[in-house]
Amino acid sequence: MSVQATIAINRFGLGAKPSELIVANKAPKQWLINQLQRKPAIHFNSDVAHSNEIMQTLAELREQKKSNKNNLKSDNPSDTPQTKTPKVSYHRQTYLQLSIDTLEHAINSEHSLNWRLLDFFSNHFSVSSAGPVMTALVPTLEREAIAPNLLGRFDDLLISVIQHPAMLIYLNNEKSFGPNSKVAKKNGRGLNENLAREILELHTLGVESGYSQKDVIELAKGITGWSVANPLKDKEQGFKYRRSGHEPGVRTLLNKTYSQKESEQGKSMLRDLAVHPATAKHISYKLAHHFISDNPPASLVNKMTACWLATNGNLKEVMTTMINADEAWHAEKLKFKTPREFVISSLRALDLKANNRQLYSSLVTLGQQPFKAGSPAGYSDREDDWNGANALISRVNWASTIAARAKKVQIEAIIKNSFSESISQLSYQTISRAESRKQALTLFLMSPEFLRR
Amino acid sequence: MERRDFIKALGASLVVFQTPLLAMSLEANQPTSAQPAKLVWVVLRGAMDSLGTIVPAFDANLLKQRPKLASNIKEQLLPLDNGYGFHPALANLHQWYKDKQLLPIVAVSSGYKERSHFDGQDYLESGLANIDHDSGWLARAISQKDVNAIALARSTPISLRNIPQANTWYPSRLKDADSDVYQALSSMYADDKLLLDRLNQGLALQGLTQQESNKSTGKFVDLSKACAKLMIDPKSNVDCAMLELGGWDTHSNQNNRLARQLEELDNGLHALKQELGAQWQNTVVIVATEFGRTVKENGTLGTDHGTASAMFIAGGKVKGGQIAGQWPGLADEQLFEKRDLMPTSNTFSWIAKALNEHWKLTPQQLARVFPSVPIASASVIHT
Repeated sequence: MSVQATIAINRFGLGAKPSELIVANKAPKQWLINQLQRKPAIHFNSDVAHSNEIMQTLAELREQKKSNKNNLKSDNPSDTPQTKTPKVSYHRQTYLQLSIDTLEHAINSEHSLNWRLLDFFSNHFSVSSAGPVMTALVPTLEREAIAPNLLGRFDDLLISVIQHPAMLIYLNNEKSFGPNSKVAKKNGRGLNENLAREILELHTLGVESGYSQKDVIELAKGITGWSVANPLKDKEQGFKYRRSGHEPGVRTLLNKTYSQKESEQGKSMLRDLAVHPATAKHISYKLAHHFISDNPPASLVNKMTACWLATNGNLKEVMTTMINADEAWHAEKLKFKTPREFVISSLRALDLKANNRQLYSSLVTLGQQPFKAGSPAGYSDREDDWNGANALISRVNWASTIAARAKKVQIEAIIKNSFSESISQLSYQTISRAESRKQALTLFLMSPEFLRR
Repeated sequence: MERRDFIKALGASLVVFQTPLLAMSLEANQPTSAQPAKLVWVVLRGAMDSLGTIVPAFDANLLKQRPKLASNIKEQLLPLDNGYGFHPALANLHQWYKDKQLLPIVAVSSGYKERSHFDGQDYLESGLANIDHDSGWLARAISQKDVNAIALARSTPISLRNIPQANTWYPSRLKDADSDVYQALSSMYADDKLLLDRLNQGLALQGLTQQESNKSTGKFVDLSKACAKLMIDPKSNVDCAMLELGGWDTHSNQNNRLARQLEELDNGLHALKQELGAQWQNTVVIVATEFGRTVKENGTLGTDHGTASAMFIAGGKVKGGQIAGQWPGLADEQLFEKRDLMPTSNTFSWIAKALNEHWKLTPQQLARVFPSVPIASASVIHT
């Protein structure tokens, strides 16, 4: 087995499922590049709720609650029993079902590179749960806006994400109206810069890339009226452009004039931002940082940036460039797995099934609850933020818990399938001298080789 | 400087710090005493009802606004000065007050003007005119003071984000692995210094917090105990901590729920003081909530989201035993937007005063912690 195959599987993918190393070993680079050719890049179950349906249900539940409350008020409250609410609320149930569904797909996938990439962009466009609406909506963004554009052009991905209700509501753009719009004149509602600021700082150009506060305001005005339909009042569903809230006039962003009308104005701005050299560099760096090393070589980032600019932000080409670069294939493992990567790769390696509750509590316990970064910057992708003492002990205890559930596995086969020969003598001996299968598997999962990729 | 860094989650919890305290800047006017000034920041999430906690029994409008809620507990209040009374569940805090170690401050607000819990909490933690999810006031104060801090939480709250000195600790629900696993791991990590160090630090920490860990419930009283243990252990080198207690959103059935909440708070703070032992003399505890609740009771025997609430400053050297803050009154025309308690002072200005007197932060340094709020003039700590 080649060293390249173990790198392909661990560094770019989510770790080997049983016998997967043999498949990757035939042509490791090609095995990865083939994954990028898949159409669709990833496939989700379609039998779970869409954000439109979720918004509808949430609105109906709010109405119902209101009328219950009114009924309660009219009676003597001390005599009336509280209205019964189900044990797990609708929004929480939806959140759990959808976010765990993604995790399960990743665990079972045979093209885990694409699922890694989905995780990357889901964290790049981080949305956090808080309150019923956001809690139910957060897991829909990656399914509806990111997955369909995962290996396409970045401008399509960007527009699709920015127009998704989860992002519009999370960063308050659904109520952002131009100061000179009809809506503002009528009820005094104004501009909210939140989404525009994060687009420039996090989603595209990156901090300190030379834009000014004026650019933030211009972009914010360009996307005024980008709102979300009210399921009980509007005919539309999901994204709704509210013309009467759009700031009229010509905008100037990064010294370029945008005279387009209506929602086309914001779209043009986003399309230009998507292929801006600062964006190309910012996201190329972030990808290399995520897949390759906390300090990715400048030559690698430059290759990817050049590809981004040459292909107008074609993500498949940028990923292919990274995979084809020699700088990506060093033998040393430079990335410490995040809790999410650790959980997914552990279950893949041991071929274990876990139920929803177990999966969810694993991530909570290890510190990476889905969609709970609490900041539009998302969860950290740096080793220092995950390798703390308390975190390591939690991983040991978690590993020991799931090792106890793996009854039939052959430790020798698992080591071979995950690392081939790329495991130190010390790790190999410590694992093989363990007094029980459970202990051996715990040590395998906690070996320096498995903690890193 | 970059506005934000990434979020440190549980993973960052390197608790047993190895670097000694760095010398404080000269500007900081370091006290000669070798005793470190310890600070505990307690956030009550969900909006604590101040009128049910520090009850203004003297205000004739209280019963008019809250005929059902207020009449139920009026007889059992624990007496304070100026006609205020503590909710009966606050027995320990009442004793602190009598010992002049607790300063309740009424009618405070962070300046947050809307009524969303999440934004209100983010605002309270961020301490800026506009919420920054990646910069908290406590983190900015720590940057000035350069002490180590720990959040008793699964991931770093906004208060402590974006600084290398902050870490997290939280009891695990998982059973500990067999001890021979740890032994085998330490031999497997022989060539990997980083993992070996982390493992050893983790095991030391596990020993320190064994009792709280085993309960594994994350109850406030257990977190408070663990918090104090971490703060007094010389090896851990932690001088600042953050605790959180949720569950204050009492829209219905408030009397029962608030009593439970206050009891939990009271027991937790009592445990914190007990475990701190002699260090209580060097400790200041600041307790605040994102906003208050409506003055009028609602139709479900509860209250809704409001504006001004109350806060506490406690500790061995706190100028306690008096009620601070000006009372705005409860008549309809005295209320904010005709529904909420009117704020008469700013939460952050009191915190700034406490940081000034306890951590000796200068006005220049405090301007970096709270750029948009002046320092309160009234002294809160014996210096």
